[in-house]
Amino acid sequence: MNTSPSIDDLLAGVIQALGDQVLPALTDAKAQATAAMSQSLLQTVRQLLPVYDRCLVEEHNDMIQVLQDASAALAGIDAEAAQRIAATAASEGARDEIPTPPDRDAVIAGHRALTTALGDVVRDLDELQRAGIDQADDALDIVRTHLGPRYLRDAATVTVGGGMIGRG
Amino acid sequence: MENALARTVADLHPEATSVEIEGFAPIPGGFSRETYSFDAVVTTADGQTRMPLLLRKDPPATVAILETSRQVEHDLIEQIRTTTNVPVSRSVAPIMDPAVFGEAAMILERAPGNPRTSDLFNDGPDTDQVDDVVRHLCESLVELHLSDVETLNVGGALTDPRNVGIDISSWDTYMDSTFEYYISSYPDMDFDPSMLVILDTFLTLRRTRPRPLPLCLVHGDFNPANFLYENGRVSALIDWENSRVGDPREDLGWMMTMDVLSNTSVMSHPHDKGGFLAYYNELTGFDVTMEELGWFTLFGTCNIAVPVNSAIKRRVTGHHDEFLHLYMVPSSAAALPSFAHLLNYPGVEL
Repeated sequence: MNTSPSIDDLLAGVIQALGDQVLPALTDAKAQATAAMSQSLLQTVRQLLPVYDRCLVEEHNDMIQVLQDASAALAGIDAEAAQRIAATAASEGARDEIPTPPDRDAVIAGHRALTTALGDVVRDLDELQRAGIDQADDALDIVRTHLGPRYLRDAATVTVGGGMIGRG
Repeated sequence: MENALARTVADLHPEATSVEIEGFAPIPGGFSRETYSFDAVVTTADGQTRMPLLLRKDPPATVAILETSRQVEHDLIEQIRTTTNVPVSRSVAPIMDPAVFGEAAMILERAPGNPRTSDLFNDGPDTDQVDDVVRHLCESLVELHLSDVETLNVGGALTDPRNVGIDISSWDTYMDSTFEYYISSYPDMDFDPSMLVILDTFLTLRRTRPRPLPLCLVHGDFNPANFLYENGRVSALIDWENSRVGDPREDLGWMMTMDVLSNTSVMSHPHDKGGFLAYYNELTGFDVTMEELGWFTLFGTCNIAVPVNSAIKRRVTGHHDEFLHLYMVPSSAAALPSFAHLLNYPGVEL
């Protein structure tokens, strides 16, 4: 996966283009409002993305404990509703906790460092290949075997149907 | 813009008593230059003349994908038009003063013919013309490639039009200096480190270069969209901005790439000659092999990849805020498997 531009960079670019190039050209009031609301929604997505996974996991794990604690607080109550709560705590509250996702910035920094290192390796392998060291061919194949599926997956992930606007 | 055009056309026709601009409209497509179509209606004492024209205008330098000169493009087109039979539209004038249109520009005659070359392929309305048109296209390319380089390379402007240190004193120096340009440009174009397949391409091509051929004037963007046709003939080869001195196989390799991407089949025609490459070889005697064509497919792609990805990197690193360059990021990523496929990366089948 590319790490630059980031997902946030892409969203910020769309918001900026809507403001700089689309909104000034719109004359219809509803179209102007739609463009402005689009900017606002995209800004919401920008704010959601960095925290979304972590918040979901925290809330998921908290709710397990909430169900168990609520049920425990009703211990000894002889009522059907209390029994249903106990049953829910025994089922939904018995879920396994999900590990907190790693910090995305740290993952991206590590990913960039490793990919940059692979680039340095390719340069060094070229030097060895030009010096006639055959094992460098095998080492380059190892790097290429890792990269090939990455490129295929990236392309499949980012490609949008309909092709590139303005090119046929 | 129309007023500036009217004044410019009037300057070119001092005998005119009035100039009217009609039908001024942008032509979509093409990302490197802004192109507009218009008719200039020129009135003189002898009567009225309608001139179908085009305006090709540079984008601002910071957002330019290819930094090329309209003066050089004008000089080349006129040299080709006056010294060869390669079909081109007359270039009326370069307008290098940015005060006129905001950036440097040029005015060309609008060639007759159909620009929708896709009509020739895939059950389009002109498939009956495809063999004749592509035959003429091949003959035109051959004439370009066999033309005297010194004659077409006016003032040496096409030796190193990007001003990146290209040395054409021999085929080997051309290749050496081109690879130096590619490899030294990599830090300016790697907007993401995962683009290293392009670096691998530069290095691999440098290690595996083919036999030399005489250098010639190459079109530089010879693709299925860059010609017009009518009555079974090419009426104009267009878009000469990336033209330069190079290896003739560069144009063939780029056509092969774009033929696939455009879902056309230029390389399969003319059928009676065994296809484009066979006919090209028959006319030139170059005996270009499919293996060489594969190498130049990558080489030609690199020639475009360097300026395109450099422009994207300038956007990503905040040197400008042009939206188009951000929009091109996914397309650039989607192109990387093609590099990997052509380099025979394990498991990369397209």
